[in-house]
Amino acid sequence: MRADKLLPMVGQGDVRAYEELYELVSGAVYGLVLRVLRDPAQSEEVTQEVFLELWRDAARFDPRRGTAMAWVLTHAHRRAVDRVRQARASREREERAASRWHRTAFDEVAEQVETNLDREWVRRCLEGLTDLQRRSVTLAYYEGYTYREVAQRLSVPLGTVKTRMRDGLTRLRACLGDAA
Amino acid sequence: MNLRIRLTHRPRSLVAPYALDALEPREGARFERHLKRCDACADEVRALTESSVRLACSASVAPPTELRERVLTAVRLTEQVTVEPRPRTAPRARGLLIPLGVATGAGALTVAALFAVQLERTSDRLDAQRAAAREVARVLAAPDASAVRADGLNVVASPERGSAVITVTGLRAPPRGKAHQLWLMEPSAPPRSLGVLPDGGSDTPVVATGLTPDASSLAVTTEPNGGSARPTGAPLVQLALESVGFGG
Repeated sequence: MRADKLLPMVGQGDVRAYEELYELVSGAVYGLVLRVLRDPAQSEEVTQEVFLELWRDAARFDPRRGTAMAWVLTHAHRRAVDRVRQARASREREERAASRWHRTAFDEVAEQVETNLDREWVRRCLEGLTDLQRRSVTLAYYEGYTYREVAQRLSVPLGTVKTRMRDGLTRLRACLGDAA
Repeated sequence: MNLRIRLTHRPRSLVAPYALDALEPREGARFERHLKRCDACADEVRALTESSVRLACSASVAPPTELRERVLTAVRLTEQVTVEPRPRTAPRARGLLIPLGVATGAGALTVAALFAVQLERTSDRLDAQRAAAREVARVLAAPDASAVRADGLNVVASPERGSAVITVTGLRAPPRGKAHQLWLMEPSAPPRSLGVLPDGGSDTPVVATGLTPDASSLAVTTEPNGGSARPTGAPLVQLALESVGFGG
């Protein structure tokens, strides 16, 4: 069954629908959180919070405003980004050893990642963007930087980052639409 | 050009940063208000979000298998929100209950923290709420955590962490001027208050930390509004903690 069918059932307190929805979306949620946070333990914690909130707030899902998958993943992404920004603020005071540890943990996990078709298409479509479009989109989405921070990191004006993000997402959408 | 004009300048240009969660919190909140008035912006957000959802799906990784059990256990302790507005009842002192999801506002899981009571400064409270949220996650994630429920008391406890997450449901409302209070019983110490519960119990988890191995049971009593220093009545419900690894 699709997430769009399951989520309203979860909103009615249907535990079996919730279990089915978990099977369906847990990979995407955990993968996304892990991609942003890079730390498996923290990612598990955040994923757990996301799924609790999904259960709690399922009745708020409004199909007119987007798909269930978009609802779940938008929520997961916000949680991950909140956490990484908090961590980043305190990590600035931390020593290098810590960040090296994070990197190792991520590499180990990355090896376990199973390749899928979607991943391949997205990779290709990302490659089709200009360098600035791609970096604007991925620094924001996968690393949790605000567009102001992205502008600073790429040394370009704010307006440029905003349009590159928009052009990047629009081109991605066209490219991925072709692939679907 | 003054600051105010610059900040409100062409909000539509923020559609893409918004679809990527790349706005600062205040800017994001302002843009969400704008979205309610701008259908074209909402359509564009929906379209661009399709791209970000694909970016998310392409990062998919199977989560650790234990996570599923933990999530399903936690769900049993968590009440759902309903979308119909509930009839507003007279505001009540909520005791120690504080929201966990302060960052995301209403709808986030709420939690009560014992140790929040002495804290008064707002930032301290925020830290306490975050700490409580983390403690809930850690108790639920602890390898030795187990659950027990009886008479409306639901407990997940980890002896190793010395912590328990408790919800209370289905209690009859206390008489006027009275409130339900949750207690931890230890043979070697006087009953410890875990806080005053809202009418009907607490559908928000209460976190009890610093439990000693001889913590023997949890109990709910009816006390004067605001709670008592010691329980004054017989327990309405009582739950032994032996089966979750305490009381030995």
